[in-house]
Amino acid sequence: MNADSDKPGSEMRLAQPSRARAAIRRERGLPYLLVAPAVAVLLALSIYPLVYLVKVAFQTGSGDAVRWTFANFERLASDGFFLTALWHTLVYAATALTFEFLLGLGLALLLDRSIRGRAVFRAILLIPMMLPSVVVGVVWRLMLNPTSGAINGTLQGAGMNTDRLTWTASTALALPSVIAVDVWQWTPFMFLVLLAGLQAIPQEPYEAALIDGSSAWQTFRHVTLPLLRPAILIALLLRTMDLFRVFDQIFILTQGGPGNATETVSLYVYRTAFRFSDFGYAAAMSFVLLAMTNVVSLIYIRLLQRQEPA
Amino acid sequence: MKRDVGETRRRRHTGTPRHPIKVGRAGYAVRYAGRYGVLGLAVVVTLAPVYWMITMSLKSEVDQFAVPPRWFGFSPTLAHYYDAFFARSFGGYLLTSVIAAGLSTGCAIVVGTLAAYGLTRLTMPAKLGRRLSVWILSTRMFPPIVTAVPLFLMVQGIGLLDSVASLVIVYTAFNLPFVVWMMRGFFQEVPREMEEAAMVDGDSRLGALWRVVLPLVTPGLAATAVFCLIISWNEFLMALVLTQTDAAMTLPVGIAGRVTQYEIKWGVMSAAGVVAMVPILAFAMSVQRYLVRGLSMGAVKG
Repeated sequence: MNADSDKPGSEMRLAQPSRARAAIRRERGLPYLLVAPAVAVLLALSIYPLVYLVKVAFQTGSGDAVRWTFANFERLASDGFFLTALWHTLVYAATALTFEFLLGLGLALLLDRSIRGRAVFRAILLIPMMLPSVVVGVVWRLMLNPTSGAINGTLQGAGMNTDRLTWTASTALALPSVIAVDVWQWTPFMFLVLLAGLQAIPQEPYEAALIDGSSAWQTFRHVTLPLLRPAILIALLLRTMDLFRVFDQIFILTQGGPGNATETVSLYVYRTAFRFSDFGYAAAMSFVLLAMTNVVSLIYIRLLQRQEPA
Repeated sequence: MKRDVGETRRRRHTGTPRHPIKVGRAGYAVRYAGRYGVLGLAVVVTLAPVYWMITMSLKSEVDQFAVPPRWFGFSPTLAHYYDAFFARSFGGYLLTSVIAAGLSTGCAIVVGTLAAYGLTRLTMPAKLGRRLSVWILSTRMFPPIVTAVPLFLMVQGIGLLDSVASLVIVYTAFNLPFVVWMMRGFFQEVPREMEEAAMVDGDSRLGALWRVVLPLVTPGLAATAVFCLIISWNEFLMALVLTQTDAAMTLPVGIAGRVTQYEIKWGVMSAAGVVAMVPILAFAMSVQRYLVRGLSMGAVKG
């Protein structure tokens, strides 16, 4: 095939439509053949594990003595560690989401205009979210170390008393510290998606608002926000699902400690399964996490669909 | 959100002020300075921690723990890099990371691209095509920790625990929905007439895909592959769960294993961190154009 063959080809199509149609008829089975490997891989490595998870979570005993039970779930309901981990996960997700959204929206609005060096600013601001989360954990362990870290060191250099700023080492400050690290890493994601959303808004509504003499706030409230709604919802949806599963940075920064001050559901699942080898109990917890994720994503998807007809 | 690109661009270049703000020249200068002030602060907050890690990887131990901390002005040394990658086992972790990320990306790209083509182009009952696409996407939404327990037990069952092969398999499945959705978007942008014309000229369907369609979506395909590489390279939880010895550990797991020990060699850690970070940053910059699309699995076209 050479490059200029498509022109005569399209002429031929007009002349001989039956040939193309015959070719298409011949390939009835082809789409299924093309999709089959992907479906097989996903069935084996995404769907089967879920079935397996249910099995592990609801079954006790082995061999002939296997029976179905809710024992793991009953245990969950009265497990203080689990309830604390659940609470931490919710606090973590809600706080981080709020800050990431507000900061991301602010930065997106700042860069959604003709400003010199916009491309450079955008590129730099995106760096944290591209980093491996383990590296982010290492970076911030270096920064936050109460005695030898750069933050306290710099503050001391400026003459401040940092005795109380123990960051991840203290029960009170550990959770806010890991949340702050999440905000550092993931605000760029909000910023990026919201900026793309802003840039897709046409100019006309703004011109109309200008002619009507509406204030900057009115324009933002009644033009920008409604038109940005789909982008906002998608950004929030993807972020929420990621926040519910947070694991990596906390694992590096605190391992869930001190005590269980920063333990989230993911970390507790990990500890239960891979430290204590209690797979049934860990599976039951995973099940709860999965249900949470699904409920939240369904809510967002409903909200998104409500938007569409308008 | 589906707007004509040309139109959007045009607005960008006119640079019309979006808000009817009536301010004097002085007010304008203040706003201008304020805007750059905020952006400058954001840049410093973004870069300072990364810069600090880089300096830590280059400092001798005396400089590392100097009080007040030495942000500038220290005598750089490459000793930590040598220590990490030659004296310790980080060289091996690095190799494992490259193999796991490379092979899983290759597999996911081949399987995923074919599936995406089948889903967008071929005569399949329309509803089935949509349902399959949504189902494929939904498999990506499970929190990894949820599949970690069953996958660990499965991998253990087939005796692949603590092997690079298990990582390649798991990452392929991990990246597959992503590839399908990204490539679906790119295929939809190629007009059907292109390959129909080639087929009239006697090409088979797969021949048309190979010779006509793939060249047109090459940039998208490359971007998708780069995203897969980034995702696999950065992945931590599955690698942590599935590997136990130096032979199969990836770079993130190797780093994590050292961090959680009591005496932490900060120089070695930082050197390993820098090496884990640099290729990712280079890759990320190369796919900036597709970043929005990639990160939202095609939900937002930026």
